[in-house]
Amino acid sequence: MGGGIAAASLTTGVAQARIRPNEMVPLIGPGYRAQDVDEKGMWQQMERVEEEISGSNLLIKDPALTRYLGDLIGRVGGPAARDMRIYLARIPEFNAVMFPTGFTVIFSGLLLRMRNEAQLAGVIAHESAHFLRKHQLRQWRDLKRKTDIFSILAMGAGVAGGAAGVYAGDLVRLAEFGTILSLLRYNRVLEAEADAMGVRLLAEAGYDPTEMSRTWAQLIGELDLSAKYRRKRRDRDFSIFSTHPNPEARMADLKISAAEAKQAGRSYDAFRDRYLSATANVRPTLLDDQVKLNDPGASQYVVNTLAKDGWNGMLRFHEGEIWRLRNLKGDELRAGQGYAAAVLYADAPADAWRWHGIMLMKAGRSAEAKLALARYLRMAPTAPDAAFVRQMVAG
Amino acid sequence: MRVLYRMIIGGAALALAGCSSLGGGGLGFGGYSLIRAKEVRVGNNSLAVTPPREWNRQSTILFDDISTVEDWTQNGPYLDTISFVTGMRDGKAVVRQRRRDDRQVPTFRSNMTAPEVASMIESLFRIRGGTVDFKTVSLMPRPFLGAAGFQQDFEHLDSDEVRRKGRAVGAVIDGRLYLILFDATASHYYGASLPDYEAIVRSARRV
Repeated sequence: MGGGIAAASLTTGVAQARIRPNEMVPLIGPGYRAQDVDEKGMWQQMERVEEEISGSNLLIKDPALTRYLGDLIGRVGGPAARDMRIYLARIPEFNAVMFPTGFTVIFSGLLLRMRNEAQLAGVIAHESAHFLRKHQLRQWRDLKRKTDIFSILAMGAGVAGGAAGVYAGDLVRLAEFGTILSLLRYNRVLEAEADAMGVRLLAEAGYDPTEMSRTWAQLIGELDLSAKYRRKRRDRDFSIFSTHPNPEARMADLKISAAEAKQAGRSYDAFRDRYLSATANVRPTLLDDQVKLNDPGASQYVVNTLAKDGWNGMLRFHEGEIWRLRNLKGDELRAGQGYAAAVLYADAPADAWRWHGIMLMKAGRSAEAKLALARYLRMAPTAPDAAFVRQMVAG
Repeated sequence: MRVLYRMIIGGAALALAGCSSLGGGGLGFGGYSLIRAKEVRVGNNSLAVTPPREWNRQSTILFDDISTVEDWTQNGPYLDTISFVTGMRDGKAVVRQRRRDDRQVPTFRSNMTAPEVASMIESLFRIRGGTVDFKTVSLMPRPFLGAAGFQQDFEHLDSDEVRRKGRAVGAVIDGRLYLILFDATASHYYGASLPDYEAIVRSARRV
């Protein structure tokens, strides 16, 4: 009974805030240029920002992957698809930012967390929608009126920063502000618009639009687990932005919108295999970047989410790494078990054998340890620590 | 640890600029003291080293209060630093952190092997130093303080887009971590102070 009432009130709240996908028409067409003085000033600054970002050392410049991302934004960028640019920054955060001139920065942590192409395309579609609906300009004008602490934060995040002349050109700082901020940084209406339009762009391109609400479920799940590990509440992260839509409500809205956007008789795909093969080269680095941050809750959530599509040696190895780095009581044993499980898979990385050997050594199982370390040296004879490991084997 | 220092300066310069009374005046970043070119005790005084020329000790009051850790610089923490870890005990971390921080520098364990200490150093840079890309280019055995120690050479690209290089020489002795870590910009400063660092490592003795 109580649950039913709660569910009903949630649904009502959702219905009031939700914007329908078919209400969303682009406000700009192909070849769009800045119109008035405000916008022209903003564009001028943003062109400088883009120049800086496009030359950043932090970009992942894998030509095949860059082409792949370019194709993606070409599919879900709506009428402006040909005018949009996409950059992939090596920053282990769950984030993407759209700039008002039509270029977007995707953070590598986002790429790691997406289980299929539809999920990534959904984020890109959402970001494209911000551009197509001229949200940055609308938001910036709104902030200029208010000039409160939020505008300062948003500027710090580089959102309107270029226009205000305070963009620091620091992608990582941008990401730090951005993880929570940029996914939630626009006001309720603008985010609802981008969600609705994103769903529409996604469905029109033949992607399964329900993947967008799954992405949100993953974000919520990860923040919850990360907070739980440090014995705090996730909603603390959201409460300071209480003027923004709450993530559960957005997730529910996205689900309803997705159903609405689908046309009867048309088939929609998540394109999982295509996504996995396009990102195969960078995935080990992305996982490593995440796990080395020693945020065990978030990392474990990511590993478990990816493992929903099947465990492999790489995921088991990183599971071991999470425990080794957490390093609380009993974690060494857990790490050892993770590595032992990893090496049972044919695709176990060389590092799994190294750590498996070290953990066996520490457990006093010297003979087995030496076999594992020898295997590591055979797999990675020129590894940076080969000299040290050789000594361990000899010792 | 210098990486922490750099983050604080980079991240909160505005906030600190107002605190001119802290750290000995100026912009609030004072707090350096001169290290003469003669034997000096560092950290918790359980290690003595002899620098071949004068260095600057960074104040620990403002940025760090871990008695076993001490930082020196020649040209400022953005450009070069030598950090000393002097007999750090099991369960401690090289930086001060709050229990509730999402991302924590792993704590030291007395049974750690060199690859684990090297990995701990990597996490320090990634979590606290704004390092985006960290590569251990070499990890090899090297005697230190009369014990079987190790040398880790590494390179990293940081969020300020500067490439830096570093070397750590350390050993776990009686379950305690002894480490001397050098980190500097890859262009010029690493090469310029490496001979000093090597002389300091060679001069190190437990007291």
